[in-house]
Amino acid sequence: MKTINKKLIYGLAIILIAIVTGTGCNKSYLKPKPLSFYTPDQTYTTAAALQDALVACERNLRYDFFGDGAPIISQLIFSDVAVEGTTDKSGPAQDMNIDITPDAINSGNDNADHNRIYWFWEQGYARLKYANTVLAYINAPKWDTTNPAQLAQRNALIGSAYFFRAYTYYILCNSFGNVPYAGKLYTSPKLDFQTVDRKVILEEMKKELEYAVQWVPDGVPKGEVSKGACQHLLAKIDLALGNFDDAIAAASSLIDGGTYHLMTSRFGSETDMAPKFADTGYNVIWDLHRPTNKTLPANTEGLFYVIDLEGYINNGDYDGGSSVMRQAVPNWDNKINTPAGHTGTIRTTGIQYDQQTAYGRGIGRCRSTWYSTHELWENDPGDLRHAPQNWMRMEDMVYNNPTLKTQNDPYYGQNLQKFSSSGALLCSDTIRCWYDWPQYKTFIPDHQNSLNNGGHTPWYVFRLAETYLVRAEAYYWKGDLASAAADINVVRQRAGAQPVSAGDVTIQTILDERARELYYEEYRKVELTRMAYLFAQTGKPDYKGRTYSMNDFSTKNFWYDRIMDVTEFYNKGVHTIHGDEYTLSPYHVLWPIPQSAIDANVSGHINQNDGYNGAGSNVPPLEQLPE
Amino acid sequence: MKLLFQKKSLLMSIMILMVTQVTFAQNIAVQGKVTSADNPGGIQGVTVSVVGTTNATATDKNGHYQLSNVNPQSSLVFSFVGYKEQTEAINGRRQVNITMVVETSALDQVVVIGYGTAKKKDLTGAISSVNVAKLQNENPTSVQDALRANIPGLSVGVVNTAKPGGSLQIRGTNSLNAGTSPLIVLDGAIYYGAMSDINPQDIATVDVLKDASAAAVYGAKSASGVIMINTKKGKSGKPVINFNSNIALATMELNQPVYQGQDFVNWRVDVENSIHSFNAKPYQFNDPRTLPSNVSLDDWLAYDNSKGDPVGVWLTRLNFSPVEQKNYLAGNTVNWYDMMFQNGLQQNYTLSVSGGNDKFNYYWSGGYLNNKGIVVGDKYSTVQSRLKLEAEVTKFLTVGINTQFADRDESSVPVNWGLIVNNTPYGSFYNDDSSDFRYAPGDDPGAGGRNPFIATTYTNRRKKYYTLNSIIYGKINLPFGIKYTMNFSPELEFYEYFNGNAIKDPDYTKTGGRGERDNHHIYQWQIDNILSWNRTFNKEHHLEVTLLANAEKYQYWENDMVGTGFNPSDVLSYHNMGAALTQTFTSDDEYSTGAALMGRLFYSYKDRYMLTLSIRQDGYSAFGQKYPWAQFPAAAFGWVFTQEPFVKLPWLNYGKLRLSYGINGNRDIGRYSALYNLNSGKYLEVNPDGTTNVVTQLYVSRLQNPELKWERTAAYNIGLDFSILNSLIGGSIDVYKGKTTNLLVNRTLPDVIGFTNVQSNLGEIDNKGLEIGLHSTNIDRRNFRWNTSFNFSLNRNKIAHLYGNIVNGQEASDIPNKWFIGHPIDAVWDLKVLGVYQSGDKDQAKKYGQSPGDFKIEDVNNDGKYTNDDRQFLGFTKPRYQWTLRNDFTFFKNFDLSALIYSSWGYMASFNQAKNKGGFPDRTNGYVYPHWTPDNPTNDFSRIFSSDGSASYSVYRNRNFIRLDNVALAYTFPQPLLKKASIQDFKVYFSVKNAALYAPDWDNWDPEWDPNAANNPGPGPTPRTFTFGFNLTL
Repeated sequence: MKTINKKLIYGLAIILIAIVTGTGCNKSYLKPKPLSFYTPDQTYTTAAALQDALVACERNLRYDFFGDGAPIISQLIFSDVAVEGTTDKSGPAQDMNIDITPDAINSGNDNADHNRIYWFWEQGYARLKYANTVLAYINAPKWDTTNPAQLAQRNALIGSAYFFRAYTYYILCNSFGNVPYAGKLYTSPKLDFQTVDRKVILEEMKKELEYAVQWVPDGVPKGEVSKGACQHLLAKIDLALGNFDDAIAAASSLIDGGTYHLMTSRFGSETDMAPKFADTGYNVIWDLHRPTNKTLPANTEGLFYVIDLEGYINNGDYDGGSSVMRQAVPNWDNKINTPAGHTGTIRTTGIQYDQQTAYGRGIGRCRSTWYSTHELWENDPGDLRHAPQNWMRMEDMVYNNPTLKTQNDPYYGQNLQKFSSSGALLCSDTIRCWYDWPQYKTFIPDHQNSLNNGGHTPWYVFRLAETYLVRAEAYYWKGDLASAAADINVVRQRAGAQPVSAGDVTIQTILDERARELYYEEYRKVELTRMAYLFAQTGKPDYKGRTYSMNDFSTKNFWYDRIMDVTEFYNKGVHTIHGDEYTLSPYHVLWPIPQSAIDANVSGHINQNDGYNGAGSNVPPLEQLPE
Repeated sequence: MKLLFQKKSLLMSIMILMVTQVTFAQNIAVQGKVTSADNPGGIQGVTVSVVGTTNATATDKNGHYQLSNVNPQSSLVFSFVGYKEQTEAINGRRQVNITMVVETSALDQVVVIGYGTAKKKDLTGAISSVNVAKLQNENPTSVQDALRANIPGLSVGVVNTAKPGGSLQIRGTNSLNAGTSPLIVLDGAIYYGAMSDINPQDIATVDVLKDASAAAVYGAKSASGVIMINTKKGKSGKPVINFNSNIALATMELNQPVYQGQDFVNWRVDVENSIHSFNAKPYQFNDPRTLPSNVSLDDWLAYDNSKGDPVGVWLTRLNFSPVEQKNYLAGNTVNWYDMMFQNGLQQNYTLSVSGGNDKFNYYWSGGYLNNKGIVVGDKYSTVQSRLKLEAEVTKFLTVGINTQFADRDESSVPVNWGLIVNNTPYGSFYNDDSSDFRYAPGDDPGAGGRNPFIATTYTNRRKKYYTLNSIIYGKINLPFGIKYTMNFSPELEFYEYFNGNAIKDPDYTKTGGRGERDNHHIYQWQIDNILSWNRTFNKEHHLEVTLLANAEKYQYWENDMVGTGFNPSDVLSYHNMGAALTQTFTSDDEYSTGAALMGRLFYSYKDRYMLTLSIRQDGYSAFGQKYPWAQFPAAAFGWVFTQEPFVKLPWLNYGKLRLSYGINGNRDIGRYSALYNLNSGKYLEVNPDGTTNVVTQLYVSRLQNPELKWERTAAYNIGLDFSILNSLIGGSIDVYKGKTTNLLVNRTLPDVIGFTNVQSNLGEIDNKGLEIGLHSTNIDRRNFRWNTSFNFSLNRNKIAHLYGNIVNGQEASDIPNKWFIGHPIDAVWDLKVLGVYQSGDKDQAKKYGQSPGDFKIEDVNNDGKYTNDDRQFLGFTKPRYQWTLRNDFTFFKNFDLSALIYSSWGYMASFNQAKNKGGFPDRTNGYVYPHWTPDNPTNDFSRIFSSDGSASYSVYRNRNFIRLDNVALAYTFPQPLLKKASIQDFKVYFSVKNAALYAPDWDNWDPEWDPNAANNPGPGPTPRTFTFGFNLTL
């Protein structure tokens, strides 16, 4: 017995020692072991991995244009071209004086039912993080910088990261004004951010873009940053800084560079994309915006894109598709009666007049203003951008409800009417359900959703047409109106529109042309705010002779005056059917800084914009970049 | 304890001596034998006395006694420590044999204390126990059922699904972001498996370690307390076969009706009137067939230039879609509510066989549970089996295995009952002229109205868990009384989620169907090496030492494949994934390790003073970058003051004071939450030649924190155990105070940094509380016995520190997370609703962008804006007080009746239904709630489709309730009857679970739901269950 016990004790001791030494005292035993995810130090060691970090920027940008309540709509409704048309509830950004506060634009309200201001803030800084990652790890791969090819590859990565930084700050500085500066990839918490003067940030971005123009090549896959995109953005940053000569130089080097040209004649194919009811022929404008044509090798106009394509479910596509039709097309199947008093329209598919398939059934979230659907196009019937087939008027649609047949309603199959012969209104919600729209941009066949919401498509971020308009604007600010008119007319000529004369060019001419050409492409609020800054900084009178100053920017500015000049919604007593009023104030020229960012930044002070709660405790913004 | 009883009998003897001795004529001599079930050979030392006399004796070693000079009409009293005292009338007999019944004093009960056991009287920590076997009449279908309301300080969440369960929380929340569910220890080994895999019929007792000292032996995992589940084991003797069967019917406890028929139409009229309140024309939305005389039909039609059938015009104005109009005119309605709820049949059977001899014992059970829920399509079934074998191989070696197998079927796809409010009663279930389900019954899918039966019908799902959890152990007796135990406890889980969405489901028609196969398996193990030793010196000093070395490893592997677009068809569902045109797959593997060393010393002197000291060192790989190890010491002292000579209180039978202090840890965070994580995903690019590239994005999604370490909770506990009035009333009172530091917090960062938060150790939370548990024997007669137990608990917590940054002389709160210094974690901080703007308040309402009928919000600083400055502390989301009252009655010996009542009080939840604007009232249905109109100027509900103006807030209501949770009646068949049938025990019972509810302020389904359940479900349909069952022992 005793010997057995002794053996047992030995055995036990060995087991215990084995366990203690094998586990407890062995340091590596408790080392965390990530198995299915990558860590930065281990991964960002090759050029390919750094390229993947840039893909995060590319993909992040795609969300700006797609999905329910796409962020770009918030850019459009804070401008002269559109208003929020979701009229059946409170919450959507209509009563701006009420809805747009530093508290209300929080992450919980960053959705289709409210607005996407917070998106531009949060995702903007997220994109800066992605770009800063590339810069933080740029020397992790073993580069042989004496090898020109390797040097070029390395510097192109830096240049592309610079592009995304500049792109993001361009939006932040023209949406929120002076903002905090995120200059690097942070490896530990930072809670003492300070607001930096936007001019200081934009100056830095100009420098970075000049580097990018030098190193980023053209001929890259679409979706990646091209040299053309860098040149274009440099011109815009120069414009924002008031460096008009530099802007002209940057734009000219792009326009004259020989790589990019406006598309002036028909190209591509329209398989499966023919609208059914107004078949009066196609043209280059139509072709330019077909999903598959946007990224064709033959397309020399696109400078920079976000890419979404059909056939890549869970494999790179945007889940559910663009949803552009749902957002931008009116809610035409609702509240429209025939003159005989019957429900006139229905969105059922497969019926005789299947307008759902042809136009999509919108919900009127992005409701174009009269300015953008009518005033812009007056007296110029040749403009292809407003031609039948490309452009849809409500009156081009028909009463398609099959029930009308059983009701013996003579209007079945007839075109819609807004008023009866006696002048009575036949549509009880003309905000949401009755407005015209650019079918050539919104028509994206949807093969995935039960309703035709708008399917998969690439989207133009930068297109050479805008470069002409950027240069035209630079000429305008310089007073070279002849050159401005010439650039505007390049764009107009391609669209078959009549040329403008130099004597007529004002900032309005440029804004109008941008609205015609770039609807649902440009960040309209950013551009208007940028112009408002220029008016306030230069003191140059606008087209009505008004002058502005930075001293009272939040109470008197061009952004507000422009919207009030041409739109008929805000502050005119217009109510939605839900009883919410459209209101707007001059201080909305800058969006509020999200309160959550201010609150979380406990060791520093992020300024609030004037006009919003909390601006009283502002401190002067930094006049140089923080470390 | 022994001393106490000896004193008692001494006292009794003295009293008896003092009574005048009365001698009766014709006295006789009486003799007999005293036995008991566990001592059939006779018990030695039983005191046998004649009532009312000093005449007494004690039994010999064979249990024999003899008394002379006894009045034949008097009675004998038999008393002995550990047995129930019995009185037996002599009735002239000369031979009086008696079988005594063991009295398991609550204080002698053995309690599991972690890596060992202790008698309850030796405890120094706060431990509560539940004898689960005693709750059998109430048919617990899960461990949680057995624990609910039976332990002061333990909150058990309520689940409403066919799958029983519920979250557990001990003594309030002590963490901000880390998990706060208690550690589960099953039969002595830490158990990471699912609670639902433990058959409640297998459970003997559950012990809950609540204070720091008791839990400290489990160190880094015990800050939220420890629940120790102990299963039944075989006893020596012939095989015992037990069969337990339950049939239950789950019904709707209460209804939250939606509008139906004409009520729906009338409500929709109110909806439209409210939406158009600013410009509605007279009777514009009223039924044209009932217009008052001053409104002509022509005028009425002309409001919007309508023509034709006025009813059609009216229905159009009410936003009735064409199909709704058709059904209204035809008088067809669909009652979605009735279609989506049902009475659910539930069955539960367990068969067990156990037995053994002095060297070997076994226990085997097999259980089957099959539940249907009250929501159509909700079902759950499980097969469970447990095998326990233990053999004493030699005198010094015992080996055993305890294995638990479970097969859980969670394949059900219940209808989405929430659609009762989205679907119009005038919708159509089928497409016109077709038997296909209509996608949106009201033809308005945008408003959320969907046919709830589509997903249930066209989803082919198999979701199964197979788990095998074992404890394999050996115990060795070493020299000098040292015992060595080794536990190896492997846990295996196999999971399969196969899901096919058929093309017939309109959501998948365009994509050509979707199939998914997601598999994972988990293999984790632990090894415990335990050395224990105990010795008593000089009969007064008792010493116990326990030492532990532990190691654990967790491994997880997951594969997931998804396919869409099945060609040539989707008839094979998920069975042929290769037929999918688009195929994607992902995988996720995880790994973690842990280790621990622990030492504990228990010392008691004269059973009067007790001391427990313990220390544990723990290591965990989630903290493995810099601080994998942490130490957790604890000390506890117990004092049985009624043993002191100077304490002589006749009414106080027993009193013990407990003091403890200890530190516990919490490691309940993600395995990798301190590491940088790169997220990857797919994106597309188009090459210059027009071909497409699928490219990968890679970005840092999580900020690392190499400094991350354990959260620590240091807590005091003062407890009193007592028993008074001849043990008629007993109980315990505990007060505690704890401080949690190094909180594992997902600290909010300014989003400028590119990360929204980082896992950190910051701040401090204080918890304090009071727990009272009382039990009493109110009546104890031959044919009627009434016991009552009462529990009360309250917990108060407070955030003492967060990030330590001082703003304006005060530490700053975390406003984005709504964590406030000096306030509880569950504080409600929001705008305060003052009432509803009435018709006369129009101008005031307009200032805030609102109208009469909208909620009026307090503008504290009167600046005309609603900001954080206007938010106030309005209440709490967790109960301030909880109490439980349990009554058990036994009458006519064979009937048992029990009733359990419990209550949570002093808490609130958001009730935004009061805003009357959920979803789209103008396009859907809604719950039947009051709403403000000029004629119904209520202050509690707003107008329909109200506006919040610029305010962003919730409306709150108290959730206070008292619930009659369980009423159970059981009948045990009398032994003589059963003996003839060779049955040991046979019992039938009937119980009602969730029998009645009193909730004065809450009007949204049941006030209680499980706040910690995944995707916090909120209020919803809750079952009331009627159960009939029997239990047969052979």
